[in-house]
Amino acid sequence: MRLLVVEDDPILLRQLRERLGTEGYAVDAAIDGTEAAFLGSNEPYDAIVLDLGLPRRDGLSVLRSWREEGLSIPVLILTARDHWHDKVLGIDAGADDYLAKPFHMEELLARLRALIRRARGHASSELRAGPVVLDTRTGTVTTDGQPLDLTGYEFRVLSYLMHHAGEVVSRTELTEHVYAQDFDRDSNTIEVFIGRLRKKLGGDLIKTVRGLGYRLEIPPDDAP
Amino acid sequence: MTPPVGSLRLRLLLGAAVWILLALVIAGLVLAELFARHVQDRFAVELGHHLDQLASSLRIDAEGKPDLVRRLPDPRFSRPLSGLYWQVSANGRVVLRSRSLWDQTLALPADASAEDGRVRQWRIAGPERQPLYGLERSLLLPEGPESLQVVVAEDLGELDAAFRAFNRTLALSLAALAVALTVAAVVQVTLGLRPLGWLRDELAEIRSGRKRRFQRPMPSEVQPLIDDLNALLDHADEVVERGRLQAGNLAHGLKTNLAVLANEAERLARPDAQREDAEVARLMLSQVATMRRHIDHHMARARAAASRGLPGRGTDVADCVSALVRVMQKVHASRNLAIRAEVPAGLTFAGDRQDLEEMLGNLLDNACKWAKGAVAVMAVRESKQLIVSVEDDGVGLSSEVFERALSPGTRLDESVPGTGLGLGLVRDLVTSYGGKLVFAPSSESGGLRASLRLPALS
Repeated sequence: MRLLVVEDDPILLRQLRERLGTEGYAVDAAIDGTEAAFLGSNEPYDAIVLDLGLPRRDGLSVLRSWREEGLSIPVLILTARDHWHDKVLGIDAGADDYLAKPFHMEELLARLRALIRRARGHASSELRAGPVVLDTRTGTVTTDGQPLDLTGYEFRVLSYLMHHAGEVVSRTELTEHVYAQDFDRDSNTIEVFIGRLRKKLGGDLIKTVRGLGYRLEIPPDDAP
Repeated sequence: MTPPVGSLRLRLLLGAAVWILLALVIAGLVLAELFARHVQDRFAVELGHHLDQLASSLRIDAEGKPDLVRRLPDPRFSRPLSGLYWQVSANGRVVLRSRSLWDQTLALPADASAEDGRVRQWRIAGPERQPLYGLERSLLLPEGPESLQVVVAEDLGELDAAFRAFNRTLALSLAALAVALTVAAVVQVTLGLRPLGWLRDELAEIRSGRKRRFQRPMPSEVQPLIDDLNALLDHADEVVERGRLQAGNLAHGLKTNLAVLANEAERLARPDAQREDAEVARLMLSQVATMRRHIDHHMARARAAASRGLPGRGTDVADCVSALVRVMQKVHASRNLAIRAEVPAGLTFAGDRQDLEEMLGNLLDNACKWAKGAVAVMAVRESKQLIVSVEDDGVGLSSEVFERALSPGTRLDESVPGTGLGLGLVRDLVTSYGGKLVFAPSSESGGLRASLRLPALS
């Protein structure tokens, strides 16, 4: 899962990047409105954390222009403006959630998980594909109840595939959602992660669709 | 006489009435006096003519008796008791008299027998004891042996009747004039003071929020006042806006720093942390929470205080509620709540939109936190007030907790996010609008019902 975090306070931005990184997200950062507008419009993020009081361009106007472009990425507004009037403005500009500063990091994480899940149409915080269960709240993966030890990138790949279970996901798409923007990407490494995941998960849960990419099979008994 | 300070209209009218009354009374007295003098002069002149005619008509006949050469032309001398008389006497004996005297004589005062030929005036009693005005002179005819006393007299009653008739007409005319002038004064004062009425109407519109400024052109005496009032309103808006902005900037700046501190503390407090670090982290977190409460509390108080002095602005309740419901559906999306809003169209709150949003937003947010599955917002109008109630189907609160819920900074449940300041803010705002906030168990769902009673705009 790849996130865009827009925040102009450098220390808070560093904290957010660190924590979100630990939670298994690939994180891009923008420190002003213009940069945020550009990144949001051009990169395929799974969610955006947006501050409102930004240099160069206000967060609300950035959000409005995204929605006018037809961008449907879930956006969580994280701001010190905590009047209900500001919340009405934010939600009406197209935000999907609103969190006021100061905030609990755990609450931000929970809200982000829920946002991404809802955007994919999942109601439960647990994603399930046959014996494999991914708990988005704890970030743990189990097969038949046994905890699975995954590296950060393996988790990101599996998480993206499970959020898009049943769909064909191209290698490029996976690359874009697993790595942050400034990372030296190599789509061959995706193949490496897929190979390791297949070994750890067992079975043939992850199918290769020749020429197109990968698909996580949903066994017929627990199709959503 | 001191007119009441309270009414400008009454002052002006009383002033006008005093002047009208004084002017007309003086005019009446002067006119009556002028008329009386004029009539008396005419009366005297006419009687003088009669006297001259009588004197020039007298002769001494062959028998040595006084006689008239010709009859006096005025017919009243011939009609008995007509009021106009003459008589000629010699040595105190009446020798000739007008037919109008019939068998009476005019009794002259005793000393009325000067023989110098001067005309003298007398008031004497007439044949029917009515007062007469008489002119008398003595006359020595060349033929006659003795001087004759010639008298012409006329009834003063006729004069009095003329005065009375004139005075009555004069009084009636002046009274009519007084009424007309008073009506004119009332009209003038009413028209003159009308701009003050406009001013009051416009001020009422501004207070109720239908208008922002005085717009109607006013007379040049009132316009400077209007300009000053508008400038004052501008200034008040500006001060409030600037104050809000600065307080807001301060609060926002501080809150971002607080967020940084809180995150750092939370990181320190992770389970694997050292005991000392964990203690420092707890201290930091509690301090951050306290600072946030202070900021929120004083921001809210400043907001409530600022909105108190401002003229109210109308806010559409349905509009505000639906905006807040949109927010709740997003912010509490993971709770899958059914939020129902029943607000009749056209219901208007007499106050600032942001204030209503703060009050309702906090109540709705609380309801959404506590609800099991359903939240309802209902608004009704009750005479000059509107009642907005927010209801949830949660576990409800005991009456002891109701009281606590309203004290500033109290949190009802530490496990539910939020500082608890919401309700303190709501209470401050409600108080500043002279409204009321009541908590009661919901009869339908068994949860909590919070009812806001606020001023409505017609």
